[in-house]
Amino acid sequence: MTEEIFSDSEEGKYRNLYVVIEHVDGKLVPVSLEMLGEARRLIDEYNARYNESELVVAVVLGYGIDNLCQQLISYGADVVVYAEDKELEYSRNTIETKVISQISQDSNVARQISPQSLPSYIRPRYMFFGADSIGRHLSSTVLAELESGLASDINKLVISDLDIRHEHKTKGKTIRYPRTLEMYRPDFSGFLWTTILCLDNKNPEIMRDYHPQACSIIPGVFAAMAPDSQRKGRILKYSPKFDQEDLKIKVLKREFLKKKIDFDSYKIVASFGRGIKEEPEQNIKLIEKLSKLINAEVGISLPLSKRPYQLSESINLKYMIPERVIGTSGRKIAPSIYLALGISGAVQHLAGMKESEFVISVNSDENAPIKDESDILVNARIEDFLPLIIDEIQKIRPMTPFQE
Amino acid sequence: MLNLAVVVKLEPDFSEGNVSYNVDGTLNRAETKNILGPHSAVACEAAFYAKITCGASISIGTMGPPVADIALRQAQQITDADELNLYSDRIFAGADTLATAEVLKAGINKMLNGNKIDIVFSGHRASDGETGQTGPQTAWKLGYPFLGNVIEFRIDLTRKYVIAKRLVTLQGFDDIIEEVEAPLPVFITIDPSYKPIYNKVSQHLAFIKFRKEAQQRVENYKQFLKSYNGESLNVDPKFVGLPGSPTIVYKVEKIPKAKANRKTEVIDIQNSNALKSVALKLIHP
Repeated sequence: MTEEIFSDSEEGKYRNLYVVIEHVDGKLVPVSLEMLGEARRLIDEYNARYNESELVVAVVLGYGIDNLCQQLISYGADVVVYAEDKELEYSRNTIETKVISQISQDSNVARQISPQSLPSYIRPRYMFFGADSIGRHLSSTVLAELESGLASDINKLVISDLDIRHEHKTKGKTIRYPRTLEMYRPDFSGFLWTTILCLDNKNPEIMRDYHPQACSIIPGVFAAMAPDSQRKGRILKYSPKFDQEDLKIKVLKREFLKKKIDFDSYKIVASFGRGIKEEPEQNIKLIEKLSKLINAEVGISLPLSKRPYQLSESINLKYMIPERVIGTSGRKIAPSIYLALGISGAVQHLAGMKESEFVISVNSDENAPIKDESDILVNARIEDFLPLIIDEIQKIRPMTPFQE
Repeated sequence: MLNLAVVVKLEPDFSEGNVSYNVDGTLNRAETKNILGPHSAVACEAAFYAKITCGASISIGTMGPPVADIALRQAQQITDADELNLYSDRIFAGADTLATAEVLKAGINKMLNGNKIDIVFSGHRASDGETGQTGPQTAWKLGYPFLGNVIEFRIDLTRKYVIAKRLVTLQGFDDIIEEVEAPLPVFITIDPSYKPIYNKVSQHLAFIKFRKEAQQRVENYKQFLKSYNGESLNVDPKFVGLPGSPTIVYKVEKIPKAKANRKTEVIDIQNSNALKSVALKLIHP
């Protein structure tokens, strides 16, 4: 039962889904294409359901990037708005925030994107950013500038009409919020999903528009479209207005570091999780020994990167680090063998390892969620398993080329 | 002398023995102790580094319930802070990041008798909320340029500049260390990998002296504590707490279990033949 006590007519104020593209020196960051793929899927459904003709708009800033535009169209963008300037060569938060905010609010740009845009246009309807070192901060500052809501680290999106009854948003009345983006965010444990909504305040006492509905999207979650070089789209060049004040931060130097942890060149990855907790230091030493015997790289589950145990500093610095995390908050890998030691198998972790060819898990709980992604589950505590398997391997092959 | 601010957060203590999980794997908040968040602590280390290398007054701020003064006390222990500020009011409750940033902005503008803050430090992200949005949004509202993921920095006092190294991690790319310079004032979030390095004897001596002073200050930390509510911060109630939050939590659910993708053979550890086959598999992947 919906009480239509307040008008929810949008009068053309919002339109289209903007995707903020990231690249390094003209090479696209994969999450950008993944976001375009998801945006395409959502907008196609949206247009069919609401009989609309809204568009996926890719926004890209940089220097020497005109070659990116066609590529973005082939991956699902209807329109690419690009700003090209030497000042935009490297990603810098202040200036990028200003330019993206200008593009989003410029009604002339909106009319070029969609000729049917009304003069009342003020904002994009939805906006996507990558949840990484660039997009996480850029999304925050852009949405602070646009004064609207932002959900972070999203891995599922749905658009629907929702009946909302909320003390502040609706003053306790039930009001329909059409075309609302449901933004699903897994929590740090990986077992809970929180749905975040960005809603206009329709309560007359605090009436306020909150658009765009925006989020940052976890890299590696959504599928990019297969590129179609025949896809048609429009490319619009935007000439940004710079304020000298916004150009004061200078990039002096950039250095690329080879990844310290290189999972891709190992056939086996052995990861551990909270199952080490009975004897953490001892267990990690055994895992270290095993990984040398079988030439495996060592990974961890997300909770361990928060250093929940009292361990020697050398072990902390070597193992309990974000670079080793397997899962949506870390690396996605596909080794020949994945060995999951005392990992219960939160959804986020599974997303990082499920492409592995063969999975052996060791868990004292025979029904731990990791089971569903395991070819073999050894039902044991890892402190019992490790000495036995090390012994067994040494019996079969006493000397290995990988031992120190 | 620099004026420095650190914004910190009280968070669940994820260390073993203190953290408590429910049977379904979710955090048991009622049973879990709260402490100064580890990322906040790293931001405090950075501010203390700036104090030792350049000389500074330090002010700490946090938004939270009255018990959040524990976090302020722990932050003072690290930084030898001159001032602790608690922003606590029922009207702040339920704030999302934008509404939190509104309170922190107002708080920072009142720090150190309203003097201009040269650098605001904050943690990379909270361990429990994990959005990482509050820092940059506070920076934007203050009108301060924002530097994120800072792993190293020094301050050039004559030019009034910060020279910082940032760690940029992007999917599918090698990590990038980017060196930037920015005129003060600036807002910095500190990467968890940050470690201050003191390589002069004078710095070591200053470190010992100020930590000792911090110890004494902490014993009477309430003398340094200022409490603010919405009225004394002079914030518009429409822009803080739930009314000032564009976003709401619509629902929380358990993430449904994915369909089993593999046929699982369950092995008992006593079964030596089975264990041997696992060993062989690991030797010949």
